[in-house]
Amino acid sequence: MWTYEKRLQFPVRITKTCPKTASLIISQFGGPDGELAASMRYLSQRYSMPCKETGGLLTDIGTEELAHLEMICAIIYQLTKDLTPEQAKTAGFDAYYIDHTAALWPTAAAGVPFNACEFQSKGDAITDLTEDLAAEQKARTTYDNLLRVIDDPDVTAPLRFLRQREIVHFQRFGEALEKIKDRLDAKNFYYYNPEFDKQFVKA
Amino acid sequence: MADRNALLKQIGETSFTLDELRLYLDTHPLDENAMNAYAEHADRRRQLLNEYADRFEPLTCDCICTETNGSDGTKTQYPGQKHWTWADGPIPWDTEANAYAESAAGTKGGI
Repeated sequence: MWTYEKRLQFPVRITKTCPKTASLIISQFGGPDGELAASMRYLSQRYSMPCKETGGLLTDIGTEELAHLEMICAIIYQLTKDLTPEQAKTAGFDAYYIDHTAALWPTAAAGVPFNACEFQSKGDAITDLTEDLAAEQKARTTYDNLLRVIDDPDVTAPLRFLRQREIVHFQRFGEALEKIKDRLDAKNFYYYNPEFDKQFVKA
Repeated sequence: MADRNALLKQIGETSFTLDELRLYLDTHPLDENAMNAYAEHADRRRQLLNEYADRFEPLTCDCICTETNGSDGTKTQYPGQKHWTWADGPIPWDTEANAYAESAAGTKGGI
């Protein structure tokens, strides 16, 4: 279960309305490598993990991703809360504005709605942890791209924090993958599914 | 005495230290230094959350106490009345709740 804590993991205080910036950052809400996909990816994969420490790590990282989702939504909210129709029209935010006004709705920057196909829950610990490592790097690349095109220091401060968290999560998933491999025959790491072919997993 | 923003900043920093240590300990469960640091920061966080709730509003469900919350009495719709305190204070995603953010003015773009 979860409980709510009434604060953001890292403060978001943006004073300048900018729908253009919001329309780019929204990809980290509902895009292919965004925080919604990240939290759902880890929180879905954790149930069938063959070792409970890895299930625990997926729970803790998945939970932190929910806090990141909240930060991304706070950034978009603050960038658009004082939006005028004129600003929506000129800044490439008009199509989104027509359907959602200034509400939060998960979509990629290019307009593709959030889709659960963005992430995998494959039921194979090696496969899923390798996907998680790639997912953290893809999210980091997306933050790199955002930081190259956004100048407002009030926006880049929380984005830099989020980018750093992707790197830490990558490190922890790498360690979790090594732990799973410790329990397999070193000659055949990639030959079996450690979640399903349990006879090949050391106790 | 630390004001609202100074306390929020300390809560944010201590909580983040715990977030980071928790993930580290998930994959290094025998690291005693990290365990000691976790215990120290967890104590500090409990104290800070209680102090914040007593003076302003509860940030977690464990800190809700309609008898003792919010002695400061400013960020509520019901000053001076016994009331449900969970909704007191600014909403977390508003700029007002994040006034403790350090100024990033002058920071250059890029990664």
